[in-house]
Amino acid sequence: MGAWRHFPIFMITLPLLGAVLLPFLGYARERWVPYAALLPLGTSTLLGLLLMGRIPADGFLSYHLGGWEPPFGIEIRLDYVGLFLMLVVCGITFLALVYSRRYIGKEVSGGQRTAYYVLYLLLSGAMLGFVATGDIFNLFVFMEILALSSYALVAITGNRNPVRAAFKYILMGAPSSIMVLLAVGFLYSATGTLNMADLARRIAESGYTEVLIVSYILLVVGFGVKAALFPLHMWLPDAHSIAPSPISALLSGLLVEVCAFALVRITFSVFTLRSSDLVMGTADAVGVAAVAAVLYGGIMAILQKDLKMMIAYSTVSHVGYIFLGITAFTAEGLTGAMYHMLDHGLAKACLFLCAGNFIYLKGYRRIEDLKGAWSQMPWTCFAFALASLSVIGIPPTAGFISKWYLILGNVKGGKWLYAVVLLAGSILAAVYCLRVIYYMFFQAGKEGAWEESWRDAPPAMLAPVWTLSLATLFFGIFSSLLIPSLLKAAAYLL
Amino acid sequence: MQESTFSVIPLLAVLLPWASLLAILAFPKRAERLRLWLCFLGSLATFGVVLSLLPGVLDGNTYTIKLASVVESLEMRLTVDTLGYYFALVVAFLWMLATVYSMSYIDHKHNRFFAFMAMCESFMLGCAFSANMFTYFIFYEMMTFGSYPLIIHEETTMARRAGYKYLVYAIAAGTVLFFAIVAHYFWGDGQLGFGSYGVLSLEFASRAALMTVFFTYLAGFGVKAAIMPLHGWVPDAHPAAPSPASALLSGVILKAGAFGIIRVCFNVFGADLLRELEVYVVMASLACITIVVASVFALTQDNLKRRLAYSSIGQVSYIILGLAMLAHDGALGGVMHLAHHALMKGCLFLCAGVILVKTGKKNISEMAGIGYQLPITMICFSVAALAMMGTPPSVGFVTKWLLGSGSLQAGLPVYIVVLLASALLNAAYFLPIIYIAFFRWEGDEVDEHGERHHPKLVFGKEADHKLVVPVVVLAALVVIVGIWSNVPGFPYSLVSKVVNVIFP
Amino acid sequence: MRLLHNYHYAAAMVLFCVGLYTVIVRRNIIKKLIGLNIMETSVFFFFVSLGYLDGGIAPIHAGAADPARMVNPIPQALILTGIVVAVSVTALALSMVILLYRQYGTLDVDRLMREEEPEAAEGGKEE
Repeated sequence: MGAWRHFPIFMITLPLLGAVLLPFLGYARERWVPYAALLPLGTSTLLGLLLMGRIPADGFLSYHLGGWEPPFGIEIRLDYVGLFLMLVVCGITFLALVYSRRYIGKEVSGGQRTAYYVLYLLLSGAMLGFVATGDIFNLFVFMEILALSSYALVAITGNRNPVRAAFKYILMGAPSSIMVLLAVGFLYSATGTLNMADLARRIAESGYTEVLIVSYILLVVGFGVKAALFPLHMWLPDAHSIAPSPISALLSGLLVEVCAFALVRITFSVFTLRSSDLVMGTADAVGVAAVAAVLYGGIMAILQKDLKMMIAYSTVSHVGYIFLGITAFTAEGLTGAMYHMLDHGLAKACLFLCAGNFIYLKGYRRIEDLKGAWSQMPWTCFAFALASLSVIGIPPTAGFISKWYLILGNVKGGKWLYAVVLLAGSILAAVYCLRVIYYMFFQAGKEGAWEESWRDAPPAMLAPVWTLSLATLFFGIFSSLLIPSLLKAAAYLL
Repeated sequence: MQESTFSVIPLLAVLLPWASLLAILAFPKRAERLRLWLCFLGSLATFGVVLSLLPGVLDGNTYTIKLASVVESLEMRLTVDTLGYYFALVVAFLWMLATVYSMSYIDHKHNRFFAFMAMCESFMLGCAFSANMFTYFIFYEMMTFGSYPLIIHEETTMARRAGYKYLVYAIAAGTVLFFAIVAHYFWGDGQLGFGSYGVLSLEFASRAALMTVFFTYLAGFGVKAAIMPLHGWVPDAHPAAPSPASALLSGVILKAGAFGIIRVCFNVFGADLLRELEVYVVMASLACITIVVASVFALTQDNLKRRLAYSSIGQVSYIILGLAMLAHDGALGGVMHLAHHALMKGCLFLCAGVILVKTGKKNISEMAGIGYQLPITMICFSVAALAMMGTPPSVGFVTKWLLGSGSLQAGLPVYIVVLLASALLNAAYFLPIIYIAFFRWEGDEVDEHGERHHPKLVFGKEADHKLVVPVVVLAALVVIVGIWSNVPGFPYSLVSKVVNVIFP
Repeated sequence: MRLLHNYHYAAAMVLFCVGLYTVIVRRNIIKKLIGLNIMETSVFFFFVSLGYLDGGIAPIHAGAADPARMVNPIPQALILTGIVVAVSVTALALSMVILLYRQYGTLDVDRLMREEEPEAAEGGKEE
């Protein structure tokens, strides 16, 4: 019983606490806010790293809030997979926050900057709590916090397009939240408990009654909207491309994944009866939707003219990857999905931040404008290229490793067609990514598009970008750090 | 495979080319010459390191080093076995010569060209030293993308179009290959390593499954190896790329595909399994078709490098044909042809480059009398071209002889007909070049007496030494290796060891 | 018969569908928000009716009250949280409606979303 048992709750509450305290600081010293915001997230990251070796791959840490025993009190239930995702969240939010200072300083007007950081910390804390919680109503609450703060962050500049995109997001997001709440109500009415482990036990006893079936489908649809699974993705391209770049990075790199992870939780920790038609039938439906997502997202990304729009559609496609990994119902597939959350998070965040660099320095948003960008912004362009390789899944980047496991998982699950779709998806990814790289490196820029002086983004913006892109390489080469434990953890979840 | 000793040398060989890259980054733009020489030193040192392994490899040792591992059965490992070493030697040698040549040939954007040259060499050596398919695939894909800037270096519209085509083919091939490896992993019981007699067997997987694995591999590697329906990028990429890059493309990069097929045949499936699956029939017929059809296409090309590219398509299929014979001499000839063709075609492309630099002529029809202007180059060209036809004593003859003997061993003399047809066609498209270069000249010189003279052979006014020396070295080797093939380090000494194990 | 007995559940579901219908079909964004609130209310209603007991008493354990007659407090506690969430969403959405109306001069969702083209062109000019 060491102090480390308390780490998870600190990881969640520190950013939330920071969000509460920041406005006061903002009132006194607005200049300090960007630095102060780093503190809670940095601490959370550190705590997560300290926790890393302590949670076994085939076990979990159960923490009881306020000392109340689980079925009554709220439980935080952190297994290896959850901690893994929490660390991904911490790391990427931290880096995007470092990036934010310069970017937001330019894009958001003075009075709203503190609000930006407050919402940012709320979003981060909510994502962490969302991953860790073991209570299904708590899951809903965290989901609402993260949804609310993300609506507000998309619209933070208050300009025409961002507000409209955020409103579109609300119009899809809010009903989906209500569906989740309704599903929670159904679950409670059928079982009389809200604790996930307890729910799993009671569901296993009772079998699937109609109420449970309806609630499962509602949960899948509800989280599916938030995770932007194919037919429910309409809000994503607008919101992700129009939001300020660090926020796009969070939304694309983390939020959709965290929501996909919620489905993993629901499917593997709550509705544990594998034999039933319910889970398998839904999985088939989700699989079909994911196939459509991979192909549709990829094709739409190819058609885009706007760089951030392209990256956003690529996210639609990659959400399909993650879901194909989940629906394989094999340890390899789940490992692939989890690892894809890592490398997609890193790579997508990196791509969005690179796109942010172009907007910050030159105001360029269209892909065509990037012709010859290499000559003036080499660091940004190289980081972009590296992250793109990971998105395509070219070895030795992390994207390759996750693609390997995704495909292997589907092959082991006997789903050859899905394996082929995944391959097709990576071909599409190659098309849209290489087009941008080609423009950047091998095309001459338009006259006067790039001034003579050599001016890349400031170091405070390049450092996070490069950390992210090198991380995709690092986790590709040293995937042995995580993969064996993830495989074991995935097998345990199944 | 037998016990292998730990050694960092393979890793060193893979990492050394990166030193050139650092040299490019570390020295200022002013020190252009210094940087170029450092690049050359880098490739020389790499060749030296590879060469230093020769005695050990000839003694039958293998060296291995583990780079990283994902899970137990999925690791990145470099292992020097005889076959891989043989390929690495070819790569390092040809790369060194191409680097020397490029120092004079490349006239803009040196940095990019040399940086990617060095990177590609590193990746190619990684391919050669890969201990399993996983590692091979990783290096192979990196090499694929690393060679793209070499192809489009000239940045002309033609080069861009060729580069685009290359990428389309390469990405599609990479995807198929990826599928093949996953299928291999799945049906091969998680064994991706190379075994002396193959690792797959019908115990673990059905016939259809193994056939799928084999054909996806063949299709995946076949794009690089330019097996006929998949060869489309080759004739575009070669003329578009700068000549040293075309030499490397033909000499080595196409061979990465062929080498992959060799690995698949020898070390993944094994001769017995191939015989049992009867897939060699398909391989052989594809190879035969490619050999003949590519030669016919070559006949119709006026652009010299395009003609050479079609010739390469045909010649790489010699390797495939040799493997498909599943006989001792056939395999020997096929695998040895990997080095032989690298020497011959490397020489021919570098000659084409000299012609381009000195006269700006790309088309064969414009080259009348060029042999008098560039005698050394054209003599070397003629030597290599004659070798391509299979004239003794040259490496081309050794290949043809062994392949012929192999087809008799396999009991299929029909292959000899194909080989003869190919030799005839080779003669039909190479001899005119020699003829035009030496025996036809325009605007005869007329002296003061009104008599017509041959143009004089002008020695000593040839191109830069950096261009001529690699050409001469390659041409000399075409003959020397053909005569003394058993000298340690020459193809026979290495390949026979491998083939004798597989076909005792 | 079961349906009659559980009429409050049925009512909640009807309300939910009414709300969903409003959100999907209505073009005025304020009406959409009202629909959203109807959906939320229906869920709250569903929750509260879960814990409802005819003639139940407040769940206070002081004294000798019969636990069997107590109303289940958990759904009510949950719904308090739910209401807070719903109010914040509505407030945020309404503030955005104000911004949207100021900038686009319309509340019609179709016209809002159709403003795509001139906006993109304007974005192009900015560069």
